[in-house]
Amino acid sequence: MSEQKLQSQTVQTTGHAWDGDLQEYNNPLPAWWVYTFYVTVVFAIVYWTIYPSWPFGKGWIGGLSSITYVNSAGETKTHSWNTRALLMENLNKAAAEQKPYFDKVEAMSYAQIAKDPDMNGFILSAGKALFSDNCAPCHQAGGQGKIGFFPNLTDDDWLYGGTYDKINETITGGRHGYMPTFGEVLTPEQIDQLANYVASLSGIGHDAAKAAAGNTLFHSETAACYYCHGADAKGRKEIGSANLTDNIWLWANVPGAATAEGKVAAIRGVITSGLNKGVMPTWGGRLSPEQIKVLTVYVHELGGGQ
Amino acid sequence: MAVTTYSGAEQYNFEVVKKFGVMSIVWAMVGMFVGVYIASELAWPFLNFDSPYISFGRFRPVHTTTVIFGFGGSALFATSYYVVQRTCQTRLISDGMASFTFWGWMAVIALADVSYMLGYTQSREYAEMEWPIDILIEIVWVTYLILFVGTIMRRKQPHIYVANWFYVSFILATALLHTFNNLAVPINLFSMKSYSLFSGVQDAMTQWWYGHNAVGFFLTAAFLGMMYYFVPKQAGRPIYSYRLSIVHFWALSFMYMWVGAHHLHWTALPDWTSSLAAAFSILLLMPSWGGMINGIMTLSGAWDKLRTDPIMRFMIVALSFYGMSTFEGPMMSLKEVNALSHYTDWTVGHVHSGALGWVAMISFGSLYHMMPKLWDTKMYSRKLIEWHFWLATIGIVLYIVAMWISGITQGLMWRAFDQFGNLQYSFVESVAAMHPFYAMRAIGGMFFLTGMLTMAFNMFMTIRQGKRESAALEAKLASKLAHA
Repeated sequence: MSEQKLQSQTVQTTGHAWDGDLQEYNNPLPAWWVYTFYVTVVFAIVYWTIYPSWPFGKGWIGGLSSITYVNSAGETKTHSWNTRALLMENLNKAAAEQKPYFDKVEAMSYAQIAKDPDMNGFILSAGKALFSDNCAPCHQAGGQGKIGFFPNLTDDDWLYGGTYDKINETITGGRHGYMPTFGEVLTPEQIDQLANYVASLSGIGHDAAKAAAGNTLFHSETAACYYCHGADAKGRKEIGSANLTDNIWLWANVPGAATAEGKVAAIRGVITSGLNKGVMPTWGGRLSPEQIKVLTVYVHELGGGQ
Repeated sequence: MAVTTYSGAEQYNFEVVKKFGVMSIVWAMVGMFVGVYIASELAWPFLNFDSPYISFGRFRPVHTTTVIFGFGGSALFATSYYVVQRTCQTRLISDGMASFTFWGWMAVIALADVSYMLGYTQSREYAEMEWPIDILIEIVWVTYLILFVGTIMRRKQPHIYVANWFYVSFILATALLHTFNNLAVPINLFSMKSYSLFSGVQDAMTQWWYGHNAVGFFLTAAFLGMMYYFVPKQAGRPIYSYRLSIVHFWALSFMYMWVGAHHLHWTALPDWTSSLAAAFSILLLMPSWGGMINGIMTLSGAWDKLRTDPIMRFMIVALSFYGMSTFEGPMMSLKEVNALSHYTDWTVGHVHSGALGWVAMISFGSLYHMMPKLWDTKMYSRKLIEWHFWLATIGIVLYIVAMWISGITQGLMWRAFDQFGNLQYSFVESVAAMHPFYAMRAIGGMFFLTGMLTMAFNMFMTIRQGKRESAALEAKLASKLAHA
């Protein structure tokens, strides 16, 4: 308070007044303010000395800090500090840390990897990271898939086969599921009969008479469903046709329908329109063979590996 | 004629000030409501209702444009017209131009909001308006510049008061920034779509040269202008230091123009550009604080006003948030800190500590001071101002704390590695971790919005009361004249 009194005695206003009573004291700049500003000036100069800072001629002043890294061609480079070099240095370090594990992945068989507890830890860790980045957008974070869009990877139902080799083949080469449209080939009555038959295979409420007619149609040359789905309707893994007898559904949203009629209608929808959307991209070339091997084991371990 | 005592309706053009003042409150309610809504969408996504018009992507620029340019812009128009007339002791040089800036600016905000909801955007942050609206802004803004500078030139005071320097620098810089950032070629005369004249990293650089200087000149310098008039007026004391105001004005104006590139650390922008900007951001710290010191020290010797005057409390808390966010900003602009903070909610929290804490609070304080004077009355309820103050302050604290925790959590989760050198978390796990903080942020916003509604009600009652008082006065005068 005494300081304030002193101030009002010694400090004068500038002598101007606006809008009646608006005035300004002419206090000197606070010393701490001035000195802190000087400190920031020193800081800025040090910062500019360490990092690339000022443009100069056709280039820029690189700064004293430098980074050494190995580029993709295997050459060792040293460069003044920059974001790209720092990324390369970090990637080099990470790759070196993971190399022993990936070397082992390459050398070991699937069965050996699955039995080795240390490798299991690595697969869980690396597999999760790879799965989250590449697979989860479609198959969902836990691999549970989405009815009507993407297959569930956690059950033991496999369209193309659930062995290590088949999973690897699927990831490397991708898949394209296809079923022709029957809406123009068959009458609505016939499609309804087929749908009732397919429902009956999974023990879903159906019209027995229609299902019997559907059974005949399924195995006839008119509809020829058995060509792809097999005479036992259990599907053929070599072409990825679905097993129709296990009450597991990918395209027809049978679990989502509340009533038996709704469930049959969902099946009817797929028979009528067919399918041409079951596309899984190829990952060969995008991921290394070792990374695909890690993913293969990871997906196999999600629950349904055969 | 009505008796004009303090409001001086003939000496000054207060009509335009009143209009802008009222609309700043209206836009604040709209913009803050949309803000609360989009914050809630992030916490509870069903609120999108599968409608493209109110999805986060389209609603977000509606929020930013309405609060920054609708609320903030109208508050600046109102206070700058008020301050320039009173401190120059002269009327605005043209009532027509003043009225044009009002209707033009209102059209800009309304058209911008509607066009965003229909899906039109330039995709330039804080400048999403497409080219026809940009042209309208340009015309309104040049009119504003001519009107403001013209009024200063006609002043009856030999010296130009410091608040007016800040207002002029804001108007001038905004004209410059708006023009260059929006250089674009429309695909044809009858299409809303245009393409930027810049490409790639130059486009990004131009965008952030604009973006950060919009913060510097629109949201900082302009509101400092507001502060330089209303703080000493409300405190009834002279500004602490004229010398400090000169030094920090020029330092601030010089430094700000360099720092935009600190928004582009760790991108394709050449590293020298962003580290140059980072060091300038550190140099900017003390010039920024000059305004805070000058504002807070103006109150020295009258600290008791903090207890007794809720309007003063708004202003001092605003200056404190200003000091905090202008300290936080330079820290976040350093490469190593930015590596953690960039792309996280920390940035969102930082912006809001400036926007809610500084810009909105100083505007509230100034409007509470100015609006009753325009209608020649007193604020309807002091109690409601107190309520507004606490609702707003609690809202800000909830908001910023939520965003600090969620931002730093995000940053740490994204860079966490396990013992095998693999990323420990997938992105979606970091999204799931944000949920409680998104809910907390939305609740903070609701507090702030509730405070805003309190203010709107209080202002409405104040204006009604002012109109009744002046009508009563006129009636009394008329009867006296009749008797005479």
